[in-house]
Amino acid sequence: MLLYIIRRLISVALTFFVVSVIIFLMMHSIPGGPFDGNDMPVSEAVRAKLMARLGLDQPLHVQYLNYMWGVLHFDFGVPYQSPGESVIQLLSRAWVPSLVLGGLGVILGAPLGILLGMAAALNRNSIIDYFASTFATLGLTIPVFVISMLLILVFAVWLDWLPASGWGSPDRWILPIAAYAAIPIATYARYTRSAMLDCLNRPFVTVLRAKGLSENRIIFQHVLRNAAIPMVTVFLPMFIGTATGSIFVETMFRVPGLGAYFVSSIEARDYPLEMALVLMVTLMFCLAYFLADIAYAWLNPRIRVGGDH
Amino acid sequence: MNLVDISGLTVTFSQYEGQVQAVRGVNLHVAEGESVGIVGESGSGKSVTCMAVMRLLREPQARIAADRLELAGTDVLAADRRTLASLRGRAAAMIFQDPMTAFDPVFTIGHQIIETIRAHRRVSKPEARAEAADLLRRVEIKNAETVLGYYPHQLSGGMLQRAMIAMALSCRPKILFADEPTTALDVTIQAQILQLIKELQAEFGMGLVMVTHDLGVVAETVDRVVVMYGGKIMEQGPVEAIFDDPKHPYTRALLASMPGQIGGRRRLTEIKGASPNPANPPSGCPFHPRCSLADAGCARAMPAFDVLTPGREAACWRLQ
Repeated sequence: MLLYIIRRLISVALTFFVVSVIIFLMMHSIPGGPFDGNDMPVSEAVRAKLMARLGLDQPLHVQYLNYMWGVLHFDFGVPYQSPGESVIQLLSRAWVPSLVLGGLGVILGAPLGILLGMAAALNRNSIIDYFASTFATLGLTIPVFVISMLLILVFAVWLDWLPASGWGSPDRWILPIAAYAAIPIATYARYTRSAMLDCLNRPFVTVLRAKGLSENRIIFQHVLRNAAIPMVTVFLPMFIGTATGSIFVETMFRVPGLGAYFVSSIEARDYPLEMALVLMVTLMFCLAYFLADIAYAWLNPRIRVGGDH
Repeated sequence: MNLVDISGLTVTFSQYEGQVQAVRGVNLHVAEGESVGIVGESGSGKSVTCMAVMRLLREPQARIAADRLELAGTDVLAADRRTLASLRGRAAAMIFQDPMTAFDPVFTIGHQIIETIRAHRRVSKPEARAEAADLLRRVEIKNAETVLGYYPHQLSGGMLQRAMIAMALSCRPKILFADEPTTALDVTIQAQILQLIKELQAEFGMGLVMVTHDLGVVAETVDRVVVMYGGKIMEQGPVEAIFDDPKHPYTRALLASMPGQIGGRRRLTEIKGASPNPANPPSGCPFHPRCSLADAGCARAMPAFDVLTPGREAACWRLQ
């Protein structure tokens, strides 16, 4: 198990390195630079001076090494779009709304999806099952900005129960959280349903019935525990994917979150911010998959205990 | 009182292709302490009969109908879920073909035996654990205490089947259904497991229903044999009578296809043709398409049982 953890950690580090190189190269291969915009033209001399000050006149590999040296010291530089603060300050400011809304979306959505999937699996081919499957398919196929618009239309415009957008007070969080929750609900409903049906068909369930266990005990202790093994591996990556903000949800609900910076940093050739965002997401996904693998191994005695015979 | 009292049992599966008649009018009685072997090839309805009386078939895809379907004196067709749960594992236990898939992989052997004990009896966990260890020792598992902490994947098939038997016996059932309990095991282990089942049956004084396609297995373990074919009983009687003087052509063919029965260099005799398609079974006697003695009458109707001596009967037109 320890060896397994070490091996996985090394692969996390390697992934991180490879992604950083690829992103750095791709980022600089996009034509144009941070001072080529038409809205604020600068003269050739000023441009050269600015580029030199930011170190952008140096060869690419030197720029990369300089940047990564900074990263290792938690210095991600200064965003070109917002030179008054460091990248870290910008991230810690903008990430809070994304983390709260996206995080709550997954944390509330996943249990709902699990319940929906369980209800569907235990009442196979019933109205509940069809409802859950339809709901899950719609949740996965309707784009999140359409869901957002529908939520605004119904709850803010027609019913006038909730404010349509903004960040200030918690009542403004409800609709974006609901929009974020759509994908976790749908994903978990489908996952839970198929994992449970798969378990219910396994021979050991017949044995449990033949032993005289109650149906509740069979479902909640044995089937759910077995079904949970594939399910835990989805949770953390989904959490990371959602809690780093979605430009669609944040734009629809005018939330000052992280989502918009993923796009604007590329448009503005804001290299430090772009690198920081990508590296942050990469690292979090690597760690999420790492933890998911550990959880999978820990829940599964065949890996945790090992040793056939 | 009969532990198993089945009359007129039919089991029909609704499948995509249509209705499959797995069991078509079976009568079966097992007295206390009696051991009965149900023999037949795949699809003869032997396992389904046992699963039906335990109500372990997935309903409503499986439709069970019977004039009488009783297990340890309880009408299982009328019983509710709770009654069935209290019957299973306590009055009637069952062991299965493949021990490797019969345990929940994420719980230890000990957990799974203890939960069976505690599902039926009010005993503390340490008491149940001590009992579980005793049971494992009784099925000849060495270092029982250690094995209680093992997960199923850490044990071999033979060890798992022993643990399975220990678990089945944990509430001292009146009857044990053994559904091909040695089919998935190595040949060397098979005899040990059969011997163990036989010993425990005598020791616990319980009834035994041994479902198998292997005549060698029934010869070693049971008093009475029921031969099934195409969802119907063809012949039944004491084990010696069936082996020494089979009456039904199917029983004879089955015995002739046993390897090494006479010894020497005799070729194996197979039964020509294939098992009947349960979705569309032959008319009359289900064996008639493969029977060397069959005539037009055999295809017309199923013969009634001829009672040759009490407890010894066969259903064949050619006996009359």
